Amino acid sequence: MMTCEQCLSELTTGSLREMSSDSPVMLHCASCPDCSHLTTLLRDREYNAANVLNSLPPMSNPVTLAETSVRTAQRRRIGNVVVMLSGAALVVTIWLAAANTIIPAMNSSEMGARKTLRTETISLQCLSPQQAADVISPYIREAGSTYYLPTSGISAITVRGSPGELAKARDLIKQFEPDAGAACRAPVASLGKLMDQLAEAQSGVRQSAPVSGKTPTAPKK
Amino acid sequence: MRLNPFGKSGKSGKRDVRLPERESYRERDRTAEALDLQLVSLAASGDDSAFTTLVTRFQPAVFRWALMFAADPDEAEDITQEVFVRTYRQLGSYRADGSVEAWLYRVTRRAATQMRRTRRRRGRLALSPAARPLHDVYTTDPGGRVDRERAAIVIRELFAELPRRQREIFDLVDLQGFSPSEAAERTGLKPVSVRANLFKARKAIREGLLATHPSYRELSR
Repeated sequence: MMTCEQCLSELTTGSLREMSSDSPVMLHCASCPDCSHLTTLLRDREYNAANVLNSLPPMSNPVTLAETSVRTAQRRRIGNVVVMLSGAALVVTIWLAAANTIIPAMNSSEMGARKTLRTETISLQCLSPQQAADVISPYIREAGSTYYLPTSGISAITVRGSPGELAKARDLIKQFEPDAGAACRAPVASLGKLMDQLAEAQSGVRQSAPVSGKTPTAPKK
Repeated sequence: MRLNPFGKSGKSGKRDVRLPERESYRERDRTAEALDLQLVSLAASGDDSAFTTLVTRFQPAVFRWALMFAADPDEAEDITQEVFVRTYRQLGSYRADGSVEAWLYRVTRRAATQMRRTRRRRGRLALSPAARPLHDVYTTDPGGRVDRERAAIVIRELFAELPRRQREIFDLVDLQGFSPSEAAERTGLKPVSVRANLFKARKAIREGLLATHPSYRELSR
């Protein structure tokens, strides 16, 4: 037989609907007026609650409700379209503003960065600094651009100019380094001429040399 | 749509100790489900009269469900309206893999949750004296007004302290008569969670109801 405490514990969490007349709780309630009263109280309260909630009709007329729902839904749909179009217009506006204001501003700052002058020393393998200066001089024209020739005889040229000018100077110097007229090749050419002249001179001396075989001596002054 | 799950015996008018067998919504009339589906497809294709029929058919059920989420019947009316607005907008996206009733229940849940959040946000505004209405909303039907006030009292008494989920589960199972597995299917919870929530809700509600009873206080010491 169930005790009152067990019955209360069962009532606290058990399902009143599932308690049949032969369930332990109901059997206990049949013999215990207190628990029976509590069970009835609980059942009454829940019954009343269900009854009130289930029997309460909605106030609005279903036809009116349906019409209002359709109208509201359509209005919201239009509202959504308007919001989407406004969003799209906002995006386009931002894009145009960016295209007309922000991007040019960024470009101009990029141009400014491009115009910043740099200094670079280019080493020369074959060209003399003067020759290199002759080659690059027509291209170093922007304001502030210039080049420096070393005075200590070192084989290099220092160029100050925009990155474009520096790149052009490097290309030109690279292009003319193997040139036949470059400074490092000039002595070879002169030497060839000298050798030719010497050979001619030597051939003339042999023809006028004495039979005795003595070396000719310089005429006495 | 089931209403009062608590039965009464016919002859004596005294309440039957045994509660009636639970009607399973799975075993609902298949013809009614087919009709619901047909109404939805007709309404989705733009037939407003089909939508009106759908609203007429489901308005009491939706209102009943809304009552458990709302603080009072007026709020439940607002939720009902919102549910049908959403239903109309979502008719095209309805997939016929479940019952229309279960779908409407889910819509009701979401609408109630969202409206509650919105109301909470606007709550601060409502606290200002200018935002309060000067008079209560006048209802032409005095009987209906009394019923609604009783319903509001029941909601407050029964559910005031309960978390939303426990309130929902208690209402579905103990007041509306769904089985825990049916409640789980509707709410998207696991049956175990439904049972756990149900036990907690019963404990809170019944302890509250029984606390006022002297014999219970005696026993529970």
